[in-house]
Amino acid sequence: MSAADLPPDADLLAAELAFGLAEGDDRSAAETRLARDPAFAAAHDRWLAHAVSLAGGGEEAPSPAVWDGIRARLAANDAEPSAPPDAVLKRWRWATLAATLAAAILAAVAVERTARPPRIVQVQRPVRPPLVAVLTGTDARAVLAVSFDRTSGRLTAVPRGLATGDRVAELWVIPEGGKPQAVGVIPTDQPSWRLVPHGLRPDVSSTALLAVSLEPVGGSPTGQPTGPVILSGKGALAS
Amino acid sequence: MKQPFASPRSTATPDGDEQAALSDAMRRIAAGDQRAFAEVFQRTSPKLFGLCLRIMPTRQEAEDAMQEAYLTIWRRAGSFDAARGSAMAWLVTVARNCAIDRLRAAKPVANEPIDLAATVPDAAPLASDRLLDRERRQRLSDCLDELAPQDVRLIRTAFVEGSTYSELATRTTTPLGTVKSRIRRALIRLRDCL
Repeated sequence: MSAADLPPDADLLAAELAFGLAEGDDRSAAETRLARDPAFAAAHDRWLAHAVSLAGGGEEAPSPAVWDGIRARLAANDAEPSAPPDAVLKRWRWATLAATLAAAILAAVAVERTARPPRIVQVQRPVRPPLVAVLTGTDARAVLAVSFDRTSGRLTAVPRGLATGDRVAELWVIPEGGKPQAVGVIPTDQPSWRLVPHGLRPDVSSTALLAVSLEPVGGSPTGQPTGPVILSGKGALAS
Repeated sequence: MKQPFASPRSTATPDGDEQAALSDAMRRIAAGDQRAFAEVFQRTSPKLFGLCLRIMPTRQEAEDAMQEAYLTIWRRAGSFDAARGSAMAWLVTVARNCAIDRLRAAKPVANEPIDLAATVPDAAPLASDRLLDRERRQRLSDCLDELAPQDVRLIRTAFVEGSTYSELATRTTTPLGTVKSRIRRALIRLRDCL
């Protein structure tokens, strides 16, 4: 149905909605109709274009500070920071590769374990998918891929482009609504793994935030992050 | 009659292609694609900023409204429904809502009187952007010239200050019924002209 088939009353209502004149029940009815009636939606589109013209604004590019501000706040809005648009795709591709690599390392380890005959009779546990996370920050070059095997408690960290100067990178898990818990200092020049302490394992879940902070050599002296958080991200179960 | 915000289904026209591309970009933004978001910003920010500049009292406030609008677009791209109208219309609505909210939080617009008798006819031509729009804008401009300047002012005020019929009645100290009929008559005349 084209906009031309719309009854005049409905077209008027579309205009009133577009201009912001409609209120109360009329407005609710118009909003509802917008979702159900394509001809009404088309009429609303057309009237909205007229309204924008009538407002007289024309087109003007905002200053670069506007986009910079949006980029800076994207991190807070989604735990995923932004980079200059043309670099984003490259970074995402590498991050995916890193996560795949981390999962592959973990899978290789798992295969090695089951290939050895057990010395003690063990209860066969179902294989649980690993938790994987890609931690990123405002520096587009720095990425940490993390993979956590919930069965063994093994956590693998694959860093790329992390620059820590004379400090070290420490990994934290922050349970939802809880305080940061230290996982430990991670080397930044090579992949590494460790066993997460038993008490901490339940916290490394898809609802927790993983973060890396800069700490003095040896890790945080206080048990809580003392330096800036340079990377963060949430985990997801690999399917 | 050309449809400036063409439905994404009508891809026969250049406008249609543009709208289909924008609609597709919205889907990718909803999936978290930051590059698509950057593209949408590049394509749509001039128009949306032009609108914010007409709503907000200062350039800085217009820029602040823009930031909030695009962050809202980022967060809520998943709620854009292509069946409900074009992507551009959705974006304009988000931007307008952000700007109007900020305007009304800063200024007691609802109570500001409108002295219709003091209305000056708007002699400035409607601002134009791309070649495709020029003919449409000229047509709109010609049709607006046929309306009483007071009616144009009321309609514009509704759009850039967020005043509904009731609020316009209050601000012009005229009965609600009177305001409704006069604006409706004007909208009908406008429609018949376009």
